[in-house]
Amino acid sequence: MSQMKQGFWAIVRREILRMSSRRLYGLSMVLAPMFCFIFFTTLMKEGLPQGLPAGVVDEDNTTVSRSILRNLDSYQQTEIIKQYASFAEAREAMQKNEIYGFFYIPKGTELKASSQQQPTISIYTNAIYLIPSSLLYRDMKTMAVMAAAAVGREVLFAKGANLDQAMGFLQPIQMDMHPLGNPWLNYNIYLSNTMLPAVLVLMVLLVTCFSIHTELKDGTAGEWLSMADDSILKAVSAKLFPQTMVFSLMAGIYLVLLYGCLGFPAHNGFWPMLLAAEMLILASQGFAVFIASAIPSLRWSLSLCTLWGVLSIPISGFSFPVMGMPAPLQALSYLFPLRYYFLIYVDQALNGIPMAYSAWFYTALLCFLVLPLLDIRMLRKAAHKYTYLP
Amino acid sequence: MWFRDLLDVAGKELRKTVSDVGVLVFFIIVPLLYPLLYAYLYGGEVVREVPVVAVDDCRSTTSREFLRKSDATPDLKIISYCSDMEEARNVVHNHKAYGIIQIPSEFERSLADGRQATINLYCDMSGLLYYKALLSGCTMVSLDMNRDIQMVRLSGISDREKEVMIMPIENEYVTMFNPANGFQAFLIPAVLILVLQQTLVLGVAMMAGTEHERRRKGELILGNEYSNPITVLGGKALAYLLVYGFTSTYVLCLVPWFFHMPQLWHLHTLVAFIVPFLLANIFFAISISFFVKDRESCFLLFVFISVPLIFMSGISWPTSNMPAFWKVLAQIFPSTHAVNGFARINTAGALLQDVRYESIALWIQTAVYFMTSLLIYERLYRSDKMPGMEFVMAMRNRMRKDLRKVEQEIKHEIQRELKAVGRNYKKN
Repeated sequence: MSQMKQGFWAIVRREILRMSSRRLYGLSMVLAPMFCFIFFTTLMKEGLPQGLPAGVVDEDNTTVSRSILRNLDSYQQTEIIKQYASFAEAREAMQKNEIYGFFYIPKGTELKASSQQQPTISIYTNAIYLIPSSLLYRDMKTMAVMAAAAVGREVLFAKGANLDQAMGFLQPIQMDMHPLGNPWLNYNIYLSNTMLPAVLVLMVLLVTCFSIHTELKDGTAGEWLSMADDSILKAVSAKLFPQTMVFSLMAGIYLVLLYGCLGFPAHNGFWPMLLAAEMLILASQGFAVFIASAIPSLRWSLSLCTLWGVLSIPISGFSFPVMGMPAPLQALSYLFPLRYYFLIYVDQALNGIPMAYSAWFYTALLCFLVLPLLDIRMLRKAAHKYTYLP
Repeated sequence: MWFRDLLDVAGKELRKTVSDVGVLVFFIIVPLLYPLLYAYLYGGEVVREVPVVAVDDCRSTTSREFLRKSDATPDLKIISYCSDMEEARNVVHNHKAYGIIQIPSEFERSLADGRQATINLYCDMSGLLYYKALLSGCTMVSLDMNRDIQMVRLSGISDREKEVMIMPIENEYVTMFNPANGFQAFLIPAVLILVLQQTLVLGVAMMAGTEHERRRKGELILGNEYSNPITVLGGKALAYLLVYGFTSTYVLCLVPWFFHMPQLWHLHTLVAFIVPFLLANIFFAISISFFVKDRESCFLLFVFISVPLIFMSGISWPTSNMPAFWKVLAQIFPSTHAVNGFARINTAGALLQDVRYESIALWIQTAVYFMTSLLIYERLYRSDKMPGMEFVMAMRNRMRKDLRKVEQEIKHEIQRELKAVGRNYKKN
């Protein structure tokens, strides 16, 4: 056997060879994240769902009820696909997932309205599907209020009021909503900005853990360590270097996709986000090394990394806010790198505030990177005498 | 005879499952704990008391009343009254509040003049629930105050007449099937189904990976004991079905019950729907586990899929608005149909005829994945019967390993010898 080359670059070369010799690495480092990048950004390319299927039950069947329905159909987000004969029929259609909601106009609505008995019209939405349900509700509620106001407005016009006065009477206080950073309420912006890095973090955690522990499983750890003069820090950093490069490239791709191709808001420009993504990858690698060192079993450490990677999606708080979670989970959220990345994204991309406000979050990511210093010696010990547990 | 073989295989598979901690974690521990964690996480259903700041440039009775009432809604909590927007923005930037309610200075005057008065709301869009809380909280207050203001303006008629004049047609809102209109009842059914599917896939893939490793080493040869691949396949499916019968009872029935979630299912509907799901899922898992070459690679291959799968089911982003390509791709996964079916059976009390599309789809999947897994087993049988390429490779690898060991030993011996020679030389 020829003399093994030593040093950082020799390990890097060895790792590149290892990575290219197995399709698994290509699949999990490039293909899997790429698939998710394309999936999420194209899935929600509409931004805000349009033309959600809804139904009506018009038991009244009068001019008033028909004008309400006509108006409702003119909303962009709602599409009345069918008129049902009865309430039960509409509910069944909802249970069959044909419609997300319906409008119910009971018999005698016009009669009551004209005789000043204040009839009630009802809005039903299927809240199992929360997003379409909420969006439909918004349209239908506006419509119901407008329908009522239309009746009142006609009376006021008849009394000689102009539009300003009529609106001043019908709606004395009105709300002017300014959704900062995402005025379109675009779900793609809202979800993809965290979903894409979340998938990447999951893959970083798994690949890092897997690649370190397979050295031990395959019995090549001795060779690996001896190439680094028995310095575990050197061995690990050299081994992970090519992976860092590949993952950085993937991060670059999703950032260009989000802020370049799709034009999502990045108010402080590209660089703070690139910095955050780079640090997120390093932090995840650091965390994975920490786990891999602490748990000397391939399967158990992979299991923990899986748990961490998958759990980081809900616990980062981008869909359901952390403040709404139980207190122990709120505390736990500090242990997830993705949480800090999310907070940086809100500050730097969405709100565009000075970087000083996010300094703590960047620092926290840095802490994950140095986390392995605590227990990496255990990995060295494991590398010297390791028994594979299936 | 055939049936005894089937039971024999099933028994062996069960024993194998129980003796393998790795598989046991996937089949029992994860389904046991993971749903609890998720249900606990979303237990709050909605966010309450979202911290906001107020900027009152009007400082009138009405503006103060508005802020007081907003603070009293369950949605909002005014944590600070700021003197200007600059100060308010600073509070938001410091991550202490998620929205600003600003009342302009001409607010009261506009009301007095009978014009529309505007209140400005600024919302941090990092979470849509903040937006929802701010908008619905303030809208509720404004509707309430609008009525009061109108009542005062109208004079000379009775209160009832006033009410009718202000709101000639009343409306009411019913969120069906999810009374709290919250996250738990909406997301957990999907998570439960996905946990079942993914743990089964991971566990089966891990076993397949282990088998593959052993075959590579030449330790395991399929088809020595049973001549018929259908028997082996059927026996394995039976074993998994038994395990997952218990697992899914716990996951789908007990977990929602622990957390007092809506449970409107009818037993026969649920059983008639879940059985094809489990069957489709088992054969799906067996089919894709063919691509797993060693024990641990299932983590890298299948875990991440859960994330797109939950979106493909259409529980979050509506199916009606999905691009056609993803809609078609989603059809091949059992979870897509199972999530939609189970959510409606469990939460909306749908009957089997209401989820007919989903249950037919699951039966079709069962048939298709049964065929694919049968094909795969056939192939494995053939390659094992006549020692094929893989076996030869395995033997070669083993010999190479032995050679390397010998080489190392010789090398060490030489080094030792050399050192000894060196020591002797120094002494002399």
